[in-house]
Parts: sequence; C-alpha cells; structure tokens
Amino acid sequence: MSKRLLVAAVAALMAVAGCGGSEGASDPNTLKLWHYEGPDSAMGVAWAEAIKQFEATHPGVKVQFEEKGFEQIQKTASMVLNSKDAPDILEYNKGNATAGLLSKQGLLTDMSEEVAKRGWDRKLGPGIDTTAKYDERGVMGSGKWYGIPNYAEYVMVYYNKTMFDQQGLTAPKTFDELTAAMDKFAKAGVTPLALGGAEYPAAQLFYQLALTKADRAWVDKFQRYTGDVNFHDNTWVFGAETFAKWLREGYISKDSAGVKAEDMGLAFMQGKHPIMISGSWWYGRVQAQVKDFEWASVPWPGMTSGSSGNLWVVPKGSKNKQLAYDFIEITMSPAIQDKLRDAGGIAVAPSGTPVTDPKTKQLNDDFKAISDADKLAFYPDWPAPGFYDAQVSSVQKLITGQRGPHEVLTELADYYKENTASVGK
Amino acid sequence: MRRHAVLWSMILLAAVMLVPFVIVALNAVKTPAEYSTGGPLDLPSGISLEGIIAFWERVDFGEKLWNSVVISGSVAVLAVVVSVFNAYALGIGRVRGRLWILVVFLIANTLPQEALVYPLYFLANEVGLYDTKLAVIIIFTVIQAAFGTYLLTSTLGGFPRELLEAARIDGANKWQTLVRIVVPISRPTLGVLFVFFFIWTWNEFFLPLVLLISNENQTVPVALGVLQGQRMMDATMTSASALLGVIPAIVFFLIFQRALTRGITAGAVK
Repeated sequence: MSKRLLVAAVAALMAVAGCGGSEGASDPNTLKLWHYEGPDSAMGVAWAEAIKQFEATHPGVKVQFEEKGFEQIQKTASMVLNSKDAPDILEYNKGNATAGLLSKQGLLTDMSEEVAKRGWDRKLGPGIDTTAKYDERGVMGSGKWYGIPNYAEYVMVYYNKTMFDQQGLTAPKTFDELTAAMDKFAKAGVTPLALGGAEYPAAQLFYQLALTKADRAWVDKFQRYTGDVNFHDNTWVFGAETFAKWLREGYISKDSAGVKAEDMGLAFMQGKHPIMISGSWWYGRVQAQVKDFEWASVPWPGMTSGSSGNLWVVPKGSKNKQLAYDFIEITMSPAIQDKLRDAGGIAVAPSGTPVTDPKTKQLNDDFKAISDADKLAFYPDWPAPGFYDAQVSSVQKLITGQRGPHEVLTELADYYKENTASVGK
Repeated sequence: MRRHAVLWSMILLAAVMLVPFVIVALNAVKTPAEYSTGGPLDLPSGISLEGIIAFWERVDFGEKLWNSVVISGSVAVLAVVVSVFNAYALGIGRVRGRLWILVVFLIANTLPQEALVYPLYFLANEVGLYDTKLAVIIIFTVIQAAFGTYLLTSTLGGFPRELLEAARIDGANKWQTLVRIVVPISRPTLGVLFVFFFIWTWNEFFLPLVLLISNENQTVPVALGVLQGQRMMDATMTSASALLGVIPAIVFFLIFQRALTRGITAGAVK
C-alpha cells in the first residue's frame, strides 16, 4: 500500500517538476559552449562578440552558451566530460593538474592536426604554447595540442605614482631601484608593499624573488621535471633570503600573514601602500576603480610568473568538433583578438592596429617584450598537486617568523620531492 | 535584575547574529567603486540596486528560485512521507533488529558527501538521471529521510499504547491507524521535519553543484558560485547575490516558524 502511494507521489512530482532526461543531447546545428569569465571582463566581452560572428558566419547554427562558475568546472569537469551532457567546447584551466590531467585521462580531443592546418601554432609564441601541449604523462610543454589559449597573464609591479612623486621617486624599473624606493617609503613610516599572505600573492612573491636570478633551464627543471631541482641552489636561496630581508627591513608588514588577496588589492587601491606585486588580472579593476591617485606599472625585473590564459578545449565526446574548431578560429582572428585587447586583456595574436588607451597599450607591449624574451615562468604551485596550500602555509610561517628562509626551502623541497615522484621522470 | 541581565545578553547575542546580514546588505547596495575606495565597512553614499539587478539577469535568478523551490519542496514532502512510513514500522511496529536499522541510518547520516559523490555520479549517469532535478530529489529524499527516520522513530517509540489499542478495538487496520491516529497526533513534529528538510535542502551546495550541470537545472546556491572567479571576486555583486540567496529561506522560515514552535512545545499527547 505504502509503496504504491510513494510511486504515485514520485510520479506526480516528476510530472510537476517536468524532469525527464535532458532533451536535445546531440543536435548538429547547436554549438554547446561553456566558459566562466564574467560578462564585463575582457574575455567575456571578446567571446560574446565571437559568438555573434560565429552565428553570422554559420547560418542555421545556434550557439547555446552557458556561463559557469570557476569552481563548478574545476570540481566536475572529469565527470561532465565522461557523460553525454558534455558541451562541444569549453574553457578550462591550463596546467598539469588540470588540462594535463584530463588529457591523460583521454577526455580531451587531440587538436594537433587542426592546429597545423589552421596555423594556430604560428600565432602563439613560445612560452605561450607551453600550456597548450601535453605529453602522454599529462606534463605540459611537449606532445600533442589539447587546448588553445586566447589571452595571457603575467605578474608585474603596480605602483602609486602620486606617492612616488611625493617622495621624489621614479618608476622602479630595476631590482635596485625597487629596493631603494621601498627603503625610502619604509624610512618615511609607510609599509611599501601590499601583500596577502593568506592566499596566492605571498607565495607568488617568494617565487618571483627567486626568478630574478633564474633562467629558462631552471624553470624547466622545476616546472617540467627536465632535471633535478635543488631547493638550496643560489636562485632559491636568494629568493628566500631576500624575502626575509624585506620582512626585516619593514618592506612587508608582519600583519600581512593573514591578509587575503582581495584585501591586498583593496589596500593598494585605497592608497595605503604604494606598491603591489601581482598579476595582470588586477589590471582592469585597478584601471576602472582607482580615481584618487595616479598609478602605473612596470614589468618585474627578471623572469616572471605568468603564462597563457585558460584554454579552449574540445571534449572527447563533443558532437560538433568541426564547429568547435571554427569557433576557436574566430577567437584567434585579429578582430576578436583586438577586441579582447581593447577591453583591457592581453591578446596573444593581435593585429598590428594601434591601441588607443595608453595603459592597455603598455600592458600589451610589456607582455610582448616578456614573451619575446621568453621570460614566462608559470606559477609556483603548478608542479605538484596540493602544492598551493603547502606554499601558502610555509610562506605564511616565514612572514610570522615561525620559520627561517632555509627551513621554508627545506619544507618546499620535501613536499616537491614527495609529490612529484609519481609524475614521470 | 537577573531577568534584565538575561534580556540584555539575549539582545546582544541577537545583534551579534545579525552583524553578518547587515554587512552583506550594506555591500549589496554599494557600487564597486565605493567598495574599492571605502572597504567593506563604510556606509554607502546612496542605495545602488545595480548589483542586485545585474546578478538577477546574469544568472536568470527567477529560474533558479523555481528550481530550488521544486527540489526543496519535493524533498521535504517525500522525505517526511518516507520517514513516517519507516518510523511507523520501526517505532510502533517494532520490527525485529530495529536498533541496528537505526544505527545503519545514523551511520549513513554521518558519511561526508564528498565520499558519496563519485558513486552517486556514477549511478546517476548509468540510469540516465545525470543532470536532472529528479536525481537530486531522490538523493536528498534518502539523505533527509535517514535523519527523519531516526528522529521520528524515537518520538513514535513513546507513542501512547492505549491510543493504538483503542483504535484496534474500534476495528482500524494498520493503514487506518497510521493515517487517522499516528499522523494527526504527530503533525507538529512532522511540521518541524518538513521545515528543516526544506531549509537544509535549500542550502545544499556540493551535490547539486556536481549533479546539476546545466544552468537550466541549477539551484540558488550553485548559481551564487558563478560569481566566484579564479582569482577575482566581485564583492558587491557577491553580496547582492548572497542577499538574494538567503531571502527565500528566511521568508520560508518566517512563514512556517509557528509550526516550529508548536513542534517544540508539543511533547505530550492529551
């Protein structure tokens, strides 16, 4: 009796909720597309235009676009791509632990043939294409093409020009100039550097300081496992000791150990600290929201954290691969690349047309210089799964004084060794 | 004097509880520029509804609300029904081994959802229910009913035997006893369960995040996640979305809070 009632209730609810299986799974005239960039971001703006162009050049084909949350894609990608509800094309995070892992699991389409045919490889410079190719271990930098990036990102030095002028300082273009400027501010009673120790910024700064002494071979060893990594070599030691020195000299506040990235950005934008060393992802926001002072940016002196942006990937189960490639082709076209650049992003393949906004021009010119000099060094947490949390916690302890610089390096070395043992080599 | 001390500490406690809501509401009506220059605690210079409107349109919030209502409502009803049947058998029917059955239910309740997610995904995918509201409804009905069974069984365990006997003497069969005697008398408790199941399901994030991948199926908490970028967060719009997200649960709570108080006070049967 009770069972029958339950079945009836479920059936009734199903009818009300209208939830049968998902309808229209494969339709040759629909391109199912997912990405997770906000509608006002440079990528959001450029891709909205790309969708319009795609529909104009493919009459009868509709783009079924869904905006996703970063976390949802991050957590569910492997499950989604294994089901029949997978999209035809989606934006996905670059790197060994993300796109590399999916390619190893066989969930992504090898696009090498299309890349050669359509010449995408010629549009993407060295350093940028590193994150697009993965070998059979899922390690980036060589092997087959599994993704195409449309944009790039890199870490730079943002500074408050108004405060610099007050102190009679000029743009901190070299490492010595940067140190001298911070020293002047510290002596004047201002903590020069905005920093967030609770999230990525402090760990990135730690890596960034080591990078001032690094070269491509050093980065490849650390990021692509091309050789043994010695965490007590001159490069790492210089980074760790300089970080400790900056703390001692008061360039970095001890209180920054508990500061989140968002609050670091706010502190800089409110003029509390004259310098922030962080990524180009802040650029558009600083530009739009800082009104009370003049600001500018200079590239980091040396190699710098940075890479291509996220990738367009085509799932193995995509039903409309040709349409997906056509869409990527449009996003790589000069018109869309220029649109992305003019909206404040860093285009990977812009046309030669000049940029009107001077700040956008500088952002893109600086990037071109970095990319041409092959100075992109990716991010410090990429080589090992879970490395991010380990680094944040180690550097946090360095800031609070619980660990010395060499102890931190030993901690990082142990974690790295333990967790990269399973990755190739 | 003593009374006053209690009263004042209650007021203080209530104020502390309300602080997060006030901060969220404050930032929801700020413009992003105001937030960047003044920080989260500054008073806004005027009320800007831009963030709220922009968020509503960006995620099609009306659709998400409807999805959440359908899912939470169905789960609340079904889980109460299932709990009643189970508890009738266990608490009044005194099935053999009922203690062990209850222990199993309780253990099932303590399993973290992260451990369940892959098997659930696999099952849903195999039977073709992946990315449907029905999958989430079934799963949460089971999860909530496990707790409901546990709770109701102990309540019904103390159900007055005389009433059941009287019903039997009057010629009621088991089904009639359940529908005419047990359910009406336990109604306050069932009301409480219904409200809790609704609100708990409403606030669920992880399983809906994994199982409802199409935007057209998503629930309110999952939709809020769209704003959390990889490295960037839009504080004002996030506040606006948080405000929009909790309002329905609060409204529901206020409507049914009488059921809650009644359920808590109604201990005995007259």
